Amino acid sequence: MFTKIFKTFLCLVFISSLFADTTLIKNATIYDGFKNIPFEGNILIENGTIKRISSANMQADFVIDASGMIVTPGIIGTDTNIGIVEIGALSVTRDDSSEIYSIGFSIHDAFNPKSTLIPWNRSNGVTSALSLPQNTSSPIGGLGSYFLLDGELDITSNKDIVMIGNVGGSSNKSRAETFAVMDDLLSFASSINARDLSSDSDIAELIEGSTIADFMELHPRDVKALFKLVNDNLPLIISTHRASDILKLIELKEKYSLNLIIKGAQDASLVASQIAESNTPLIINPINNIPGSFDELASNIEMASRLEKKGIDIMFNTPRSHNFHLVRQGAGVAVANGMSYEAALKAITSTPANVFNIEQRGEIKTGYFADIVIWDADPLEPSSMPEYVFINGKVIDLTTRSSRLRDRYTTQPEKPNTYRN
Amino acid sequence: MNMTKLLKLSIFFSLAFWGLINFLNAEPFESTYTPLPSQNIIIRNANIYDGEGNELLNTDLLIKDRKIAAIGNDLPVTDDFEVIDASGKWVTPGIIDIHSHMGVYPAPGVRTSSDGNEATSPVTADVWAEHSIWVQDPQYTLALSGGVTAFHVLPGSANLIGGRGVTVKNLQRNTINSMKFPNAPHSLKMACGENPKRVYGNRQQAPSTRMGNIAGYRKAWIEAEGYLNRLNEYESKSDEAKEMGYKPTRDLELDTLAGVLRGEILVHNHCYRADEMASMIDVAKEFGYKITAFHHGVEAYKIADLLAENNICGALWADWWGFKHEAYDMVQANIAIVDQARGGTGCAIVHSDDAIGIQHLNQEASKALSAGLRAGYDISKARAMNWITSNPAKAAGIYDQTGSLKVGKNADVVIWSKNPFSVYALAETVFIDGGLAYDRESGFYPSSDFDVGIINSNKNRLEE
Repeated sequence: MFTKIFKTFLCLVFISSLFADTTLIKNATIYDGFKNIPFEGNILIENGTIKRISSANMQADFVIDASGMIVTPGIIGTDTNIGIVEIGALSVTRDDSSEIYSIGFSIHDAFNPKSTLIPWNRSNGVTSALSLPQNTSSPIGGLGSYFLLDGELDITSNKDIVMIGNVGGSSNKSRAETFAVMDDLLSFASSINARDLSSDSDIAELIEGSTIADFMELHPRDVKALFKLVNDNLPLIISTHRASDILKLIELKEKYSLNLIIKGAQDASLVASQIAESNTPLIINPINNIPGSFDELASNIEMASRLEKKGIDIMFNTPRSHNFHLVRQGAGVAVANGMSYEAALKAITSTPANVFNIEQRGEIKTGYFADIVIWDADPLEPSSMPEYVFINGKVIDLTTRSSRLRDRYTTQPEKPNTYRN
Repeated sequence: MNMTKLLKLSIFFSLAFWGLINFLNAEPFESTYTPLPSQNIIIRNANIYDGEGNELLNTDLLIKDRKIAAIGNDLPVTDDFEVIDASGKWVTPGIIDIHSHMGVYPAPGVRTSSDGNEATSPVTADVWAEHSIWVQDPQYTLALSGGVTAFHVLPGSANLIGGRGVTVKNLQRNTINSMKFPNAPHSLKMACGENPKRVYGNRQQAPSTRMGNIAGYRKAWIEAEGYLNRLNEYESKSDEAKEMGYKPTRDLELDTLAGVLRGEILVHNHCYRADEMASMIDVAKEFGYKITAFHHGVEAYKIADLLAENNICGALWADWWGFKHEAYDMVQANIAIVDQARGGTGCAIVHSDDAIGIQHLNQEASKALSAGLRAGYDISKARAMNWITSNPAKAAGIYDQTGSLKVGKNADVVIWSKNPFSVYALAETVFIDGGLAYDRESGFYPSSDFDVGIINSNKNRLEE
């Protein structure tokens, strides 16, 4: 009964918001993703964007009283495979790897806005996500794209906004080889002129003229992506953990002026000063304190707090995209272990927007797209859930396949279960 | 020789004889656990979840001779008691994880110490997880910092029947026998579904299908029945007849299975799908054994009543899903639905199967509880605490010794900085059998040999 009333209520909210030109969230406690302290205020949304934030009263077609509730920017999923992997262990539902391309492999065109991961994650507060391919055969390679999780087939995305890579302990080769290959590839990339890329046959010539490109059997797409990496300041996320590897990557960053981001970085506390000095942002999983390999021996639950004190830009990830929203729990654990609440919140909202050049998202700010979540309680408590989620100013229906299955088995006992809704 | 002397001599010999018999019959690999040093303690003014479904505010807890001695207000103590003021803090029983692979899949996760799956044959009831456990796994101390005082280690799920599991105290020692939980029964790990059929199907051998899985269990149990019959037949013979014949040769694999049929070994069954769990209940009925718990059971909510009727616990995650097809139908209220089945007679357990998750079982319970409340159930935090304390203790067969703060039970106690259903709560102090095992403020915690000098030779791993 409760569920039914709630559903009807949500439905009404949904319908009224569809016809609303303007929405007002009033009396909210706002963490805007920028300021370090929350403030009380009203947010006016018009045509999908934030029109005004004010303590003054405003009129709107649709008004939500958010008294006592916390309002945050929508969570940005840094480092996910949302939309490109449906079931992990089922290869026919995976679109995150390529057999032909290495450096230039883009997952963009595989994105499925109807993936069940999307309603589930956004009903838990994740409104957009960066989806990344698996590591490719090249230590630098594979392009990730950014997607709005509105579920529309007409997708809203920023294509190929980041390249990935990885270095670390491996069973069959030395990391010294990996660094040498990275250096060779970057050196090759730096030597390319835009005019060399005018046709595929020109590129083929380039490849033939480069020992490393030839040996790695690069395709024109790979070469174009490499060119973009060094010439367009493309963010490059390298997964690595060991302190010595982090320092080596910082050397490469400086040598080739790379827009480097380090992911994993379980040893980061050991080289925090160098990371801070080089302005290298990190993507870390704050709940992971396991020395999971010989590269991650310094794993520590206080890592996020120690890195924050050094002034490093920190973003959070979690290894399972099906529940990427659990990054909130990781953020809560980071706060429990010494990180500031505001920095933890920024790590899942404004910091990724800034690092990946995602414009007009990640903060609650006048003129920005209205990707906003109104929480029933503290968003860093994993027991909390959104009351409302807005993407581009539209109220999102929070029904998920999971909530439907729950209702199917907890209501309508008078019907055989396969005849229930 | 007078009669007294003769009598004395015969008593001596018969005692020696019985001693020898007992020595021969002694179970191998018995626990040699000895607790940490302890003293008598009074924890004052604590808010308590007792693991029996009760919440007691501003209450004293008295630990004496390693046991819970009393719970109440203004308990009198003598001068020799250590007094801990827990005003504003929370106290719970030690957290118990019913599904861990610590030790058998230790950190670092490398081939040389990944010893959790004897994936060389679909039925390996002869292997025991305790013989794979690496006692220097650096993960135990991390679990201890999350309030975990005991955990049940299972073999992996590659096999239909994977071998014996073991319950250990979360006190790192240099032999496994000295960590084993005294008088805890063994368990048997069984696995349904995708894993066994994938592992063996990929090798073009049985099982490669779910029907192959079921046939595999049944064949194993038929063998076990035959073995048990032969043993029983032999045991029922007169002494003379026993001398005339041969005792059936021991078979390690069938020893374990016969132990299940005798009710001495508890079955823990990895199984995701509702229809498969229902089939496994039929297999158990066919051979007359009991399933103690289904593990993972992402679809347990679909057959919650059936589980409650058969007294089978659901050892479940709060929200994991999607990594396999059989884990696709996740419902966050799964744990609550299992708990509330048949008028609240269901047995729900929050398990981890994960070295990170085991450190935050209180948070996992919190998520499961809030999902239950959103589904419309009326469940108290005190009851949800049972999901990570008394219920796993029951499923591990150690509830008579631990799992709740009942007078007379082992003093396995956690003091939390805040309400443990909050993400901000930290386990501050952990007692195991009344001995101080962990104290956050003073930096008192165990380090494994692995942790010693591994980053900086003059420090342990977790030292800054």
